[in-house]
Amino acid sequence: MSIIQQHTSATLSDAWRTIDIDALTEESSVNFDTSTLRPPQPEITEAEVRQLAGQVRQLLRGGDTEGALRGCLDTPVYNGTDGAKDAHLQTILEVLQSIKASEMSPLLKSIYGSEGGSEALDVLVKYIYKGMGGGANGASKVTPQSTGGFSQFASRPGTTEPAAAAMSVLLSWHEKVVEVAGLGCITRTMTDWRRV
Amino acid sequence: MSKPEIHHLFHNPIVDHSFSADHNTLAVARDNAVELYGRSGNAFKLLDELKGHDKTVTSVDIAPNSGRIVTCSQGATDRNALVWEPSPTGYKPTLVLLRISRAATFVRWSPSETKFAVGSGDRVIAICYFEEENDWWVSKHLKKPIRSTITSVDWHPNSVLLAAGSTDAHARVFSSFIKGVDQRPEPTAWGERLPFNTVCGEYLNNSAGWVHSVAFSPSGNTLAFAAHDSSITVIYPSAPDQPPAAVVTISTQLLPFKSLIWSNEDEIIAAGYDCEAFRFRGGETGWQLAGTVEAKGPAHVERQEESALQMFKQMDLKGKAKDDTQLKTVHQNTVTVIRPYQVTESGVTQFSSSGVDGRVVVWTL
Repeated sequence: MSIIQQHTSATLSDAWRTIDIDALTEESSVNFDTSTLRPPQPEITEAEVRQLAGQVRQLLRGGDTEGALRGCLDTPVYNGTDGAKDAHLQTILEVLQSIKASEMSPLLKSIYGSEGGSEALDVLVKYIYKGMGGGANGASKVTPQSTGGFSQFASRPGTTEPAAAAMSVLLSWHEKVVEVAGLGCITRTMTDWRRV
Repeated sequence: MSKPEIHHLFHNPIVDHSFSADHNTLAVARDNAVELYGRSGNAFKLLDELKGHDKTVTSVDIAPNSGRIVTCSQGATDRNALVWEPSPTGYKPTLVLLRISRAATFVRWSPSETKFAVGSGDRVIAICYFEEENDWWVSKHLKKPIRSTITSVDWHPNSVLLAAGSTDAHARVFSSFIKGVDQRPEPTAWGERLPFNTVCGEYLNNSAGWVHSVAFSPSGNTLAFAAHDSSITVIYPSAPDQPPAAVVTISTQLLPFKSLIWSNEDEIIAAGYDCEAFRFRGGETGWQLAGTVEAKGPAHVERQEESALQMFKQMDLKGKAKDDTQLKTVHQNTVTVIRPYQVTESGVTQFSSSGVDGRVVVWTL
């Protein structure tokens, strides 16, 4: 009996096309731990983040907005618990929200012109995107939630007033950063393995 | 600065291009074939089509002295390279078995023209050389420690060292020494004893973006690579098996660069998604973006007398008063490859670029 006769319409489906052959090949790149490709980052604990947040708040109260922003951008949490990462995002959002719109551009230019400034603005873009990605304003998510049915006009749980305000702050910061650091900072954020 | 020489060949992307040494023949990779253009006056006319691959040709290179053309393709049944030998009756292809199971992505002749390197998606670089006794091209694989697709390769002037950029974010320097083909090379900062597949250096930058292009400086003592994080990284090796003397990364405000070349020891030209070429200048202590190669003065912009009537007509027709569909650059789309065109003792004085817009442009520095 030939093999062909054993086929039924079920076995002749296209299912084989979706088999992930890479997963079955031991040598394949998908079975390769990509984390070994990048240098290890120092781990930052939540306590350290909180301590930094305290210092940053002090700087803010003292009116040193550049120092406050620079302070949190120089220590991005690449390697840490989700709690630490979210806490640091909160600190940065707090700083961003406390800076006036008219001060943004001169502040960013001064950071960009300083030593390591390009890197600092890349970090800022990462946090802006993280903030937009749903971490904005504590637990409330800004992303549209499934509301079931046609509820475009009803007030959605996500679009609360403070969340919308936080988003508009992030959008205006995003615009200003790209003006200063160019499209390069966006490509770097998309490319970079070091996620915040 | 003289005006660039612009050749708009067709409305298809040009993945790779190569000029012959006398600049009279231009080979471009177009879809499944390589088209040969001959210079007639100031223009290039289609002379011949090299058909041998059955899938997209990914790379083409003309050897300056022998005139041989090597091509490679990404096809499923066609993962081999072809060497096209010039003869009185046209180019005759010779098949080179690469023994790879993924697409071939990039091919370049070594300066000695006795070998060529083919980068592939199979995480190997095939080093191909001609074996006289069997009358056959043979390939040997550089394998370790490549973790992903090779995007570009560049030869050291000694034809033994090979730099390769990969989507695993590393730029590496390998030895491709083949006994009987190569002379034992002079020791360099990259290494002294260089058996085949010696890894002389492995580099990545901070954000670990995949590498688009690698290039040795004219002396071969420095390596530069362009990565997808819109940066260029320059590496100054110190001594074999030692960490490099300096690694300089320039993060730019621009879009990523697809290709880069050294015009001399302290100037790099890079071009890519911004559709034009940029100059970088510097040395071991630091590098800077030094502006664009293209001069975009007011002379380029044609000022039209615009009447109010015309403006409203445009508004009515197109919904806008100004036609902004044209880029201000010569290339109207991404620049895929740049190559040295005219090299003198002081360095590269002219270079050529090809783009997704189907243009090949010769620039004077």
